[in-house]
Order: sequence, then structure tokens, then C-alpha cells
Amino acid sequence: MDLELNEDQRAVQDAVAALLAKHVDLETTTELAAVGDFDAALRVALDEAGFLGLALEDETSWLDAVLLVEAVACSGGLVDIGAAAIVGPALCGRTVPGPIAVLERGHRGPTRFGAHARSVLVEGEDDVRLVGVAASGEAVESNFGWPVGRLPDDLAGGEVLGADAVARLHRFWRLAIAAECVGAMLGAFQTTVEYVKQRRQFGRPIGSFQAIQHRLAELSVLIEGGRWLVYEAAHFDADPQRVAVAAAHATATAERVFAETHQLTGAMGYTREHLLHLWTMRLPVLRLELGGAREHRIAAARARWGSSSDD
Amino acid sequence: MEFDWSPEDRAYREELSAFLSEMLPDNWQDLTREGPGGADQVVFSEQLCAAMAERGWLTQHWPTEYGGKNASAWRHAVVGEEMWENGEPRGPRYMTVNWVGPAIMQFGTPEQKQLHLQRISEGSVVWCQGFSEPEAGSDLAALRTLASRDGDDYIINGSKIWTSYVDHADFCFLVVRTDPESKGRQGISVLLVPMETPGIELREIPGLLGKKYFHEVFFDNCRVPTSCRLGPEDEGWSVVTRALAFERVGAAHYQRAQRTLDETAKRAGEVGMLDDPGVLERLGAAQAVVDVARLHTYKVIDEREKDAPPSPSTNLARVSGTWAVRTVAELAFELFGYEGLEYGSFADSYFRLGMWAGTASGTTEVQLNLIASRHLGLPRE
Repeated sequence: MDLELNEDQRAVQDAVAALLAKHVDLETTTELAAVGDFDAALRVALDEAGFLGLALEDETSWLDAVLLVEAVACSGGLVDIGAAAIVGPALCGRTVPGPIAVLERGHRGPTRFGAHARSVLVEGEDDVRLVGVAASGEAVESNFGWPVGRLPDDLAGGEVLGADAVARLHRFWRLAIAAECVGAMLGAFQTTVEYVKQRRQFGRPIGSFQAIQHRLAELSVLIEGGRWLVYEAAHFDADPQRVAVAAAHATATAERVFAETHQLTGAMGYTREHLLHLWTMRLPVLRLELGGAREHRIAAARARWGSSSDD
Repeated sequence: MEFDWSPEDRAYREELSAFLSEMLPDNWQDLTREGPGGADQVVFSEQLCAAMAERGWLTQHWPTEYGGKNASAWRHAVVGEEMWENGEPRGPRYMTVNWVGPAIMQFGTPEQKQLHLQRISEGSVVWCQGFSEPEAGSDLAALRTLASRDGDDYIINGSKIWTSYVDHADFCFLVVRTDPESKGRQGISVLLVPMETPGIELREIPGLLGKKYFHEVFFDNCRVPTSCRLGPEDEGWSVVTRALAFERVGAAHYQRAQRTLDETAKRAGEVGMLDDPGVLERLGAAQAVVDVARLHTYKVIDEREKDAPPSPSTNLARVSGTWAVRTVAELAFELFGYEGLEYGSFADSYFRLGMWAGTASGTTEVQLNLIASRHLGLPRE
């Protein structure tokens, strides 16, 4: 047992932080989000630095990938980081052209990166296919914080991925969802904590009111708890029970973080002039994928206490 | 970062688990119905602690100079988990080995060490803690029980409340005011009071959590020698804070919650409820709450292992631990159905534990205040 990052992990974390400090600019990100685009330059930078294939290297692990995903999501960087650094590498054993869209079995409607995707992971009845596309999906206007688009329902062909690909997709997608949620929640939370320290009403900072302090303190217990769940799940190579628990907790907490951070930042938080939306408006989308908290919880229960399931 | 137990700790856990299977009687569930402070459990705990002491397991986390093995915080956590998984068969004696003993090592005189440490390490002595008073609960520093100096003696007058185990206790770790003019954290001292001292009276407070669970303890001109004082006079607040820092890891409540949740799921399976997605969803949600509590506690253990200064991790662990116990208690009550109406049944016993979780040893609200100020840096009112 050791709950501190080792030297190598800290070095990776520092390198990622340095890259994000250089390439993530929240004003640009706000503009990209407003027009339904993503940060192509950031994605290239992450790729060229070798971070997207981090989990596949000998001396690194899924924990490094999770730290990367959390850091990118927390920075506000607008890329398909969960799919690019976790789901894609886990399924394909290599990095694939991105952005990557992931379609669960029976998926209908718009999807994250649907219009920009160069690779699509398509879950079928008992297989997963990697289909190359040329950013050919139809863009869909959305108020949510990701570029979304509609891919054809009948994406055919592509590379059929290994025999246990469906179970593997569920495991690593859950890991990615949880890590992205945790990062985005941290971003929203930190922004809100700063806000309540500065914002004065009734002659004092609103963060001095106990009614507000307890709500933020509870969120910190939940968000920090989410981090540990994700780290542990990554450490155990996306073990089915642990990733389902991590995703269940992260997505349920995401619902609460969304409501609370918007409530505590008042009207300001509903504007695009304040940065909060960069994190919060991504959370509802992460809560939809793979059936959301309900399905993650059911998968966790099945993994621990048995009963037939493909999870 | 490493989330796996060392092979040594895993092997030790197996050994300890096998030992407990052998030691715990068939009617163990009945013995635990009043919780760790219940009479049956207190009596049994002497036998169990003696057997543990014989194996060098009871105080293995103590320094070698006091007969311990300097065991790691993680090894200590293994003991806590295995004990709490079984409803803490060390009874109230877990508290004496976890923090009363270490506090005496840190602040005690040679005579106090001589008098107490051997007995504590044998598991042959029960302590209670005299902290809360009717007017000093969350605001412990408002305590008024007075120990007036009379030559080489103190004369204690006042009362303590919510005291558990007191009907079995040999000694009380008593926090008093020694400077009558003082207020707040100043002028407080700690006394190690033998419960047989004349002038101590007990009253059981009938309650909802178990039989003989709560007591009020009255001190009426109770005279003890000043040699009972632990640490400097009037500077007891720091003794208390530092003594309780030993307890930072606390009881492994998440482990009991996990065991209860597993039993609840098993029961749900037996009656065909595991086919119900609604039931699975609630079980899965509860599992997440328990895992969060476990990992927050591991963070505290990790800091303790590294001798890091006290941090807000403790407060996060305490809050999440409470959530875990309450969530599981509510779910177990619902899924066990009418069976839980019987006093002492599985669901009832845990329901009573769950009721108390957010209040025992410091309320959730105080923990949240500390997180807000220490962890988030929010301004004070």
C-alpha cells in the first residue's frame, strides 16, 4: 500500500501539467465550445508528446493514463481525452487517428465528437469494430460542452477487435468516464470555491456562510472519493467491479456537482462570460454514456454479488 | 501508488481471520447485539484480548520499548478491518490499545506507565472516556467539570454524559477544568481516574441504541491524588488533541459496513431480489459509498505510516465513514424487511449502529466545518 505517486508518476504528471499550461487557453476553449468545435492543436500536442499512448508503454500503466485524463479534463482542455488515452489504446492496443467517437450497442442520436471523428468504436451484439471515418458525421448544434454530431446508424466494416472486446470496452470506457468526470468536477469545484471566497453579499464573502461551507465540504468528500476510486480501479487494470463502482460514484456525483456549483455561483455561473460552464456543461453528457449511474451501479452489484451479465 | 496489500500483510490477515473463526463462539451474533460496549461483548473481549496478547497481536503497533513490535500503520489497519468485520470482538479494549496506551506512553510519568501499560497490553483492563458534558458536546472546550486542588489531591465535582462502557470500566480518561477562572481550551487537565474511587455515581440513560449504552457519570467531591494527572496541569487540551491524533485512523467502520452490505446482498439473493434491477442499483450505489469511505481511510493510514502531520484527510474519512454506515444500515433494514423489527436481529443491530454514526465521537457538522476551513480555506464567519 502506498497512496502517494511515485517519482515516475509525478514526473509524468509534471510534464502533462507543463504541456497543458502551454496549450490550454480558456478563452480559446470558450470560443471553440460556442461553435461546437474541439481543440485540434491541443490534441496534436498531446499526441506528439506521446501522452495518448502513455498506458501502452512498458514503464507506465493505466494509472498514468488516468492521471493524464483527469489533468486534461480539469484544465478545461477540449479534446476526446478519455477515448484517446484510455478506450482507444485499451481496445486497439495502439493509438488510432482521432478524435475518437464511441458508440454503444443500440446507440441512437448525436454523440460526442460525432462530426469530427476520424475513428469510431462501434459496439455490436458480441463484438466491437474500429471504423475509420473522415470527419464525415453531421454536426449538431448543442448547448452542452462537447462538440456533438450524428454518425450514420449503419456504420459498416472496419477492424473487428478481439474476442472479449465488449467486456473490455465496458471496463475501459467506465474508467475513462470516471476519470473525465473527476477532472471536470475538480475544475468546476475549484472555480466555485474561488468564487465564493471573492463574492461578497450582506457585507461578507458568501463562502463564510455555514450553509454554503457544508455543501462545498460535502462535495469535496465526494469528489476526492471519486479520485481514489478511479486511481484504485486503474491500478487494478480496470477490474470490472472497481471501474463500475468508480463510474457509478463519479456520474452520480457529477449530477450533484453540476447542480451545486451552478447554484452557488448564482446568475454569473449561467453565463459564458464566467468559466464554470467549461466544466459543468460537459458533465451531463458523461452521465449518459453506457447507461449512466444506474447501469454502472447495476454492473457493480452484478460484479460483486454475481448473476449473469456481460459486464 | 500501490493499492495492493503486501504479501506479509495478506498472510497475516489470513492468520488473524482463521484465529477469529476459531475464537468466536457460535452465538457470536447474539453476543454482539448491544454493540462493542454490551455486557456480553465486554466479557468476551477479555478472553479474546488475552489470546491476542499471548500472540503479540494486541499491541503490535506499540513501540518495542513498551512491548510492541513497531508494526506499520497498515498492519494495524489489517487488525482493525478484521476486527470490525466481526463487530469488534475486542469490545471497548480496542480504544485502550489504540489511543489510551499511546497517550500514556507520550505524556505519562514512569509511575503511570508502570501502573497502566502492562495491564492495557494484556487486555485485562477496561477504560471509558469522560469527555462530553450536558453543556459541552461538539463544543468540548465548554466543559465545566471542576477538579479543585487540595494539597496533593484534586477534588472533582461535575458530570459527564453519553459515557459508554462505564459500567465495566476500571479507569476513566477524564477531561476536567483545573483552573476555575479559565475559559475555553485554557485551564483544562486530563486525569486518569480509577472508577472505584468514592464519589462516583452512574446513571443509565435509557436510549434507542442499545441496552446500557449511555450513562451519565456524576462526580461528587471525588478525591484523587495529583499523581493521576496525565501531562501538565492546565495544559490538558493539547494532551487530548494529541492523544486523539493516535485515534486518527479510527475504527474500520467501512469494513463492518462492507460485511453488512455483503450479508444484505446475500439475503436479497436468497429471496430472489437480485433479479430486480432496482435492488441491484441500490446495492451498487451502496458499494460505492463504502468504497469511498475505505479509500478515504486508507489515505489517513498512508499519512500515518509516513508520519505526516494531521491533515484534513481525517475529516474526509470521518464524513464518508458516516455516510457508509448510514447508507448500508438503511438498505439492510429495507431489504431484510420485517425480520429487522426483532430487537437484536441482523438488520436491527446495524440499524442502531447507523443511527448513531453521524454523532458518535464528533458530529458530521463539526467535521464539515473543519473541511471548509482547513481543506478549502473558506473564510470564517
